[in-house]
Amino acid sequence: MKTSARIAAIALSGLALSLGAHAEEVYRDMTPYIDYGSKPRASDDARHTNTYQYWKDNARIDPQRASSATQFWTVNWKYKDPPFNDTLHGGHDAQDRGAELYRQLNADGRFAACLGAKKGELKGLRLQYPQYRKDMQRVVGLEAMIEHCADKQGMKLVNGSYDNSAVSVYITAFSNGMPIRIDVSKGPLKESFENGKKLFHTKAGWTNFSCATCHVSVVGKNLRGQTPTTHYGDVAHWPTWRSKDELQSLHVRFTECNRNSGVQPLQIGSKEYTDIEVFMTALSNGYPVVNPSQRD
Amino acid sequence: MKITLLALAIGGLTAAMPAVADEALPSNLLYDAGKEKKTVWPLPVKNSGELKYNEHRQDLSKWPTLSYEDKRPTKKAEKVELQGPLNGNAENGKKLAMNTQRGNCWACHALPGDVQPGSGGPPLLNVGTWGYSDAHMYQQIWDRRVANPGTEMPPFGTNGVLSDQDIRDIVAFLQSLN
Repeated sequence: MKTSARIAAIALSGLALSLGAHAEEVYRDMTPYIDYGSKPRASDDARHTNTYQYWKDNARIDPQRASSATQFWTVNWKYKDPPFNDTLHGGHDAQDRGAELYRQLNADGRFAACLGAKKGELKGLRLQYPQYRKDMQRVVGLEAMIEHCADKQGMKLVNGSYDNSAVSVYITAFSNGMPIRIDVSKGPLKESFENGKKLFHTKAGWTNFSCATCHVSVVGKNLRGQTPTTHYGDVAHWPTWRSKDELQSLHVRFTECNRNSGVQPLQIGSKEYTDIEVFMTALSNGYPVVNPSQRD
Repeated sequence: MKITLLALAIGGLTAAMPAVADEALPSNLLYDAGKEKKTVWPLPVKNSGELKYNEHRQDLSKWPTLSYEDKRPTKKAEKVELQGPLNGNAENGKKLAMNTQRGNCWACHALPGDVQPGSGGPPLLNVGTWGYSDAHMYQQIWDRRVANPGTEMPPFGTNGVLSDQDIRDIVAFLQSLN
């Protein structure tokens, strides 16, 4: 080899792209889509990671599989849910806190009405979210709506805060065992679903990773101490108690996913995160709500 | 040679600078201009309706985000050519490869001495015996998309994560594995 170190970097094409960044559709690397179909359901995972068979029924999880270093990921963390996990945890504390806050907020019945509960009935309310609100001109998740409706009652419950998620846990628990059923086949939710699907596969950050890098391309592989699982059937247990001592909403989890993969996190309740929430909720269709819940 | 060095200098400069130095960043990033690292993350505080924001270890706003307002494109794959002696420091290369904020190679690749080997990519335990040239390894780390456009491996050089010397050091480390 020659004595001088010389590198011919073809940087000009990259420069030209930076300068032309005002083009309408900005180029982004994408992780190729898998077949999501027009009416996604949790069971569609059978043609993706094909682990659905191991986590579709909480009561029939194989303990050996769940404790296997190489196979535990195929159970999609469902062994953290009852009946396999019957411990008391921080999610139950949150439920109690949420009950107390709910009593204060709903003293005149307006809070429940604002959330869309008919005659104050909380059973099934979780399943109405995310939903498009004509009055707000946008799609909202339950936690965004809790913030909105609490504000009307003079209580500040910032989306993503412990108390907001605690109220969400309290409300969500009324839907325990009810299968998620969000219709993304038409209207604003379809648009939100399609946007979320695209975001999930869009590469970003210094790593040039998308959500799908971990949950589609290297799903089931070891990333040192972690093994990414399928993105199907995952929203059924949110908000959840993380055993590192933190009550997290789904959007708060997204900020952690982003950081872990070298991507700049976005604001809680942003349109982007809400679209990903809609996308992932559709991928949980048919899978029952489980709350309070606990995850590592 | 002057021309190629200039190209490298320009490439290095753009990689180190925020890609939208003269434009506002998207409005919905978790970004605090008053913090040294800029990027912040939310921490729910027990029995509180507010969020606490902590500083992240790294300013992540320099790279494309998932914000709909973000008009920064993915940088195109860069083909680079290593000429001259490698002049890599294998010991430093090992540190970089096993630093989670730099190379972080061990997240996906098995490397000697790691009790939790990653399996996202092939094990590199004896990659030094595979017969790869220094130039090939250098290109793979700088931007593997040149060889495989659909790769999930980060383009460390193109995205300004690792410098020319960093990559030389890592190549020296990998070539030492047998």
